[in-house]
Amino acid sequence: MEAIEVTDLRKTYGDTRAVDGVTFTVRAGETFGIVGHNGAGKTTTVECLIGLRRPDAGAVRVLGEDPARRRRALAQRIGAQLQESSLPERIKVAEALRMFGSFYRDAADWRQLMERWGLQPLARKAFGDLSGGQKQRLMLALALVGAPEVVVLDELTTGLDPIARRETWRLVNDLKMTGTTVVLVSHYFDETEALCDRVAVLARGRVRAMGTPGDIVAQTGTASLEEAYFALEGADR
Amino acid sequence: MKAFTALTATELRLLLRDPASLFFMIAFPLMLLVLKRGDGDAVPGYLAMIVAIGGMGALPGIVASYRERKVLKRLATTPISPVLLLGAQLVAQVAAGLAGSVLLVATAIAAFGAQAPGNVPVLAAAFLLCSVMACSLGFVIAAVVRNTRGASLIGMLVMFPMIFLSGAAVPRKALPDALRRIGDFLPLTPGVDALRVAWSGTAAVFPLLILAGIIVVATAVAATLFRWE
Repeated sequence: MEAIEVTDLRKTYGDTRAVDGVTFTVRAGETFGIVGHNGAGKTTTVECLIGLRRPDAGAVRVLGEDPARRRRALAQRIGAQLQESSLPERIKVAEALRMFGSFYRDAADWRQLMERWGLQPLARKAFGDLSGGQKQRLMLALALVGAPEVVVLDELTTGLDPIARRETWRLVNDLKMTGTTVVLVSHYFDETEALCDRVAVLARGRVRAMGTPGDIVAQTGTASLEEAYFALEGADR
Repeated sequence: MKAFTALTATELRLLLRDPASLFFMIAFPLMLLVLKRGDGDAVPGYLAMIVAIGGMGALPGIVASYRERKVLKRLATTPISPVLLLGAQLVAQVAAGLAGSVLLVATAIAAFGAQAPGNVPVLAAAFLLCSVMACSLGFVIAAVVRNTRGASLIGMLVMFPMIFLSGAAVPRKALPDALRRIGDFLPLTPGVDALRVAWSGTAAVFPLLILAGIIVVATAVAATLFRWE
């Protein structure tokens, strides 16, 4: 079954074609990567997925529904971790989890979630006093507190030190094990390669390549996804 | 409803966790009362001052920071509307103002032998309208000024002259004529009047109507100009 279907998605801001005909599908239970450099159209694409933006053209279906029309209903079933989003400085970790849990009809047990994601020792710490890695861990847990079927993670590890990054990877791997559909947006090729079943490589609003990281690497005759990206982009210029 | 209750409880806790709002809404009015040797006539004005400090002094910065730090955007990905967070902030401001006010009134009566308010239901209505009015002006500031620092600063620049010229912090009788006339046009002045009249035991409808009118206009302006990101 397809959890997400995006067909010829287009979105323009002024003169800038942020997304210029993007098509992909994500199967239920899959971890799907959207990778590319800044300005490739990644964030606009995921914001259309969660109904924060209305596409200019093209079709988006998430769990069989149109996010632009059914944002509220879909929000019960989608968890999102947005790029650079944050919480009030003085809110405490446990408080945030409990509060976000109250937004959903069938929420996960926030105490269990706190335990499972290693946030228990931070329960009484204020958001503003957390380290970058701890903040990301909380934002990830908040994306899961509604017991979502689809989780969208945008720039999960940007700004984290290497140890916190690896730790976050481990958490995403744990999440994969639960059978949740994950859309992982990143400008780190190694991260996408390590975590994703399939990947769409985006450049200038278009899909340049799609498939398993191994396939893309093999097709381009390169050694890594990052090299594959530069081979694809280089050939285009 | 469950979500709104949780949001409001959290917003109220966040307010009470902030040393600045705690000081200005609770300790500062008590200090003024002590400096005035417990003068009961000053109390209704101080109630208006408390809600003005919260609604215009603190609220714009808080709301602007929720926008700037993408708290509102994060909420927009959940099943609840970010409007609920603004509503929760409003209720929390009214509640925090009420806590500071009850403490002030109780101190004035118990410690300084001030006369108890004459018409409590009308006083409560005046307090509620005055508080919501101050918050609605705060929302207008947060709608017009985009960044957190700017919104905090403009909030303070609007609030401070207003509490002095409207009769909230000092009686308008003590002001020079020209300044007193400015007070006639300030939205907090009918708030002070309404509280003062209710405190003395009579009920004047006119200032309450003006407050309600300001709330309607300011809310419409804020709703039109507000940007979520």
